Amino acid sequence: MEKQNFQVVGHVTPRKDGVARVTGQEKYTVDMTLPRMLYGRTVCSPYAHARIISVDTTAAEAMGAIVLTFKDIPQIRYNERIITVEWALHKDHYILADKVRRMGEPVVAVAAETEELAEKAARAVKVEYEPLRVLVDPIEAMKPGAEPLYETVMYGDKEIKVVNNIACTREVIEGDVDKAFAESDVFVEGTFKTHKIYHAQMEPKSVLCHPEPDGGITVWATTQSIHNTRIVLGQIFDIPLSKINVKRMAVGGTFGSSIQMNSVVPIGVALALKARRPVRLTLTREEDMHDHGRFGTDAHLKIGAKKDGTLTGIEMEMTADLGAHIIQGYSFLGVSIGWVVSLYRLPNVRYKGVGVYTNKAPGCAMQGYGNPQATLAVESLLDELAEKLGMDPLVLRLKNYVGLGMTFWGQGPMVRSIVWSDGVPELLGKGQEIIGWDRRENPNTKSGRFRRGIGLGRGFHTTSAGAPQPGDVIDFSGALVKVNQDGSVDVVSAMVDHGGGTWEAIAKLVAETLCVPLDKVNVVPSDTFSTGYDVCTHATRGTYAGGGAAVKVAEQVKKEIFETAAHYLNVQPDALKLRMDHEQDQAVIYVPSIPDKKMTLKQLASRTWSESWKTIAAVDSYRPTNCPPAYVTIFLEIEVDTWTGAVRTLRTALGVDCGTVVNPDGAVGQLEGGLSRGLGMALYEDNEWDNQGQLLSKGYWVDAKTPGIMESPALKDLNTHFADTYEPTGPFGAKGIGEAALNPVPAAYANAIYNAIGIRFYELPITPEKILGALMEQENIVKEGVH
Amino acid sequence: MKPQMITLHINGRTHYVALNPNLTLLVALRDLGYTDVKCGCEKGDCGACAVFLNGVAVNSCLVLAWQADEAEILTAAGLGTSEHPHPLQTAFSDAGAIQCGYCTPGMIISAKALLDQKPHPTDAEIRDAISGNLCRCTGYAQIIQAVQSAAEKMDAGGEG
Repeated sequence: MEKQNFQVVGHVTPRKDGVARVTGQEKYTVDMTLPRMLYGRTVCSPYAHARIISVDTTAAEAMGAIVLTFKDIPQIRYNERIITVEWALHKDHYILADKVRRMGEPVVAVAAETEELAEKAARAVKVEYEPLRVLVDPIEAMKPGAEPLYETVMYGDKEIKVVNNIACTREVIEGDVDKAFAESDVFVEGTFKTHKIYHAQMEPKSVLCHPEPDGGITVWATTQSIHNTRIVLGQIFDIPLSKINVKRMAVGGTFGSSIQMNSVVPIGVALALKARRPVRLTLTREEDMHDHGRFGTDAHLKIGAKKDGTLTGIEMEMTADLGAHIIQGYSFLGVSIGWVVSLYRLPNVRYKGVGVYTNKAPGCAMQGYGNPQATLAVESLLDELAEKLGMDPLVLRLKNYVGLGMTFWGQGPMVRSIVWSDGVPELLGKGQEIIGWDRRENPNTKSGRFRRGIGLGRGFHTTSAGAPQPGDVIDFSGALVKVNQDGSVDVVSAMVDHGGGTWEAIAKLVAETLCVPLDKVNVVPSDTFSTGYDVCTHATRGTYAGGGAAVKVAEQVKKEIFETAAHYLNVQPDALKLRMDHEQDQAVIYVPSIPDKKMTLKQLASRTWSESWKTIAAVDSYRPTNCPPAYVTIFLEIEVDTWTGAVRTLRTALGVDCGTVVNPDGAVGQLEGGLSRGLGMALYEDNEWDNQGQLLSKGYWVDAKTPGIMESPALKDLNTHFADTYEPTGPFGAKGIGEAALNPVPAAYANAIYNAIGIRFYELPITPEKILGALMEQENIVKEGVH
Repeated sequence: MKPQMITLHINGRTHYVALNPNLTLLVALRDLGYTDVKCGCEKGDCGACAVFLNGVAVNSCLVLAWQADEAEILTAAGLGTSEHPHPLQTAFSDAGAIQCGYCTPGMIISAKALLDQKPHPTDAEIRDAISGNLCRCTGYAQIIQAVQSAAEKMDAGGEG
């Protein structure tokens, strides 16, 4: 396929759910209620690490509350994220704590007639704890003799021992690093630290459960995957999936936080099954902050290169702070090295990753899934290497990046893919021009209070986890497309839209395929009963894989339209074409050479209906065999106030190669949002814990330092741009954007700050305190040098 | 603690409700079905629950329901409908100022509070007015643009 003139795809159109959202009519899980609904609450541990000695629920039960303790729940350890295949899945916890491993962990759950009564009942539950030594630092947690969080966990169907709180390790060796290093002329190395920051999605995680008379259950849940939620519930509660229905809801942002079945979901289900009444359970903001966060990383990288700038190999060791449960730690270790070797050609690799339990919020995917952490390290080192070699950092990148025709690792070592479309040179060229790269001066030429710097971060994210063969990551989507009696089209898909406009993209792709006006194509409300499997809206796969499935099925519908119309028009199906007729506001089926041989889709569909024939429809699954990289380049000009340490963003050039741009305004929004969250990660956000495992923010959002409007650069200074590419494996040439938009942002800040003040930071966030401290140290060194 | 009768005038409709005096206006509104008033943090951090209370924008999570007894309350849903959205609502939708939409009703209340006072706000005034509202999706630039564009349209159309 090649570039075409599209009728819908790539056009700016009013967002279908826009009116519902601006007028407050959109319903999120937390807005749902049912008659006779009970309110759930959990009794959360005030300790981060403790044995539970006794639980007394008498007083709560005397208030009329339904109470659930550890002995009432299925005695099954589970993993809430089943994107990873069963044999590579660790399962370490129950739906209520057998032992407390993090602050705020649910120990007991209650449900009562009002929220107030539920809260009172929860407070009336008496739990006796034996506090244990709290481990917040993964390095401490790994030391022999450290208090173990777990004795054993399940790995697949085997029970395995946990030694030194190490949950998982992963080693990858490719080529011969020692030989490569022996042949290298120059090295760069560094230890990079990133913290466990908070997703800060606006909607608090929630669930509403309705027990059905047949023993089944209907579930409204905040989730990125309705089918995975259903499957895990089936495993825990031993209910056939045919009796569990999970509803697809609007979601108030996730950024990865609901990639798994959320902790409230099985607790809500257990309460509802016990009460035989509907139960809604919602986390408070403080509970939510203890419930999930980004993986913290501590990574040492050493990269070798030849004099001409050719990279030779890499040695990398990484410790990942998994927190209290392993949700996706093993795959995290795999993708972390995958991102590194997919940024630049590093044929020789020696990598060891270790995932460690600590008494903090469980780590789960957060936009980029280890990619911003990896990109920070690699892009910082590339700048250092360029300086050592006296090369332009841009030239060094162009020389080594993984581009057209090359193999990269889409999701760790087992998902390898070829690059079929590559807009990197174009993005670098355009970004360089917008930001004025030629004006970039050496940091030692700068003086005065305000110092400006220009920095570049280049990165990518894989679009889906598709591959030619099965690996350790499940990735496929489904769709049902049907033509209604008036020529309009329903798309039934399990794919969740976090807010980025995935449903809009899917509707556009189907409208384009069937030549039906966009306002007549709807991605309709759905649930697990009415849809085929879709793995999850993650991995930047919404448009590419979910849209890919919809296009595959729409093509089948198109074939059926032609076959059916051929019958009525008495022509060969292959002679028929489709076109969008704006006057009739319909798709028209026609024979180009015989003008009167034509009918609208409405005429066709209403005939197959009134003549009692059929519904024109198709349903199928789609497995992407590729996972193309969505490339992003971020150029920044910033200003450091050397008196206060504050960093101000002056101008940016945000470029993406997402293939065909399906929703142009949505795509711009993705880039700008990625900058904002990346800026937060780079400069402010740090979900810090004290040595007792308590959050220093105490559950206050502002203290978690989520960027506000004051930190946002003005629209005129953002300069978003798109590469002119076409991805041959994507629907109408499209790739993703989502996570890619954030991945290189922290690196771009680190490089821009270096360019401003000549100080390189290896730990995020780069706060004013750190900048001032480093400036003072720099000044002292200069003074000492003078004496 | 016993429930007390209070009267709430919400979006032009009057409700007589019996509520415990310790309940927040946010809880009262949502329990009455005004789920356009979003619950984000219940601590006054995020602004998702902003409503007008006698013409003044407040975080409804920081107001007790009895304090609103006999007050006129206006929520985002009361500002406009699908058929007749408020110019701010149209502008948010058109300018790409919404993604997940969870912060949007609160944003629109804060923006209207600004335009009620200053029909021609500067960039700095818009930032100041929205500084109590968090948005995690958009990065705010398009929100600023939406407020500016609504101000221009309201000025031209004499609305507001």
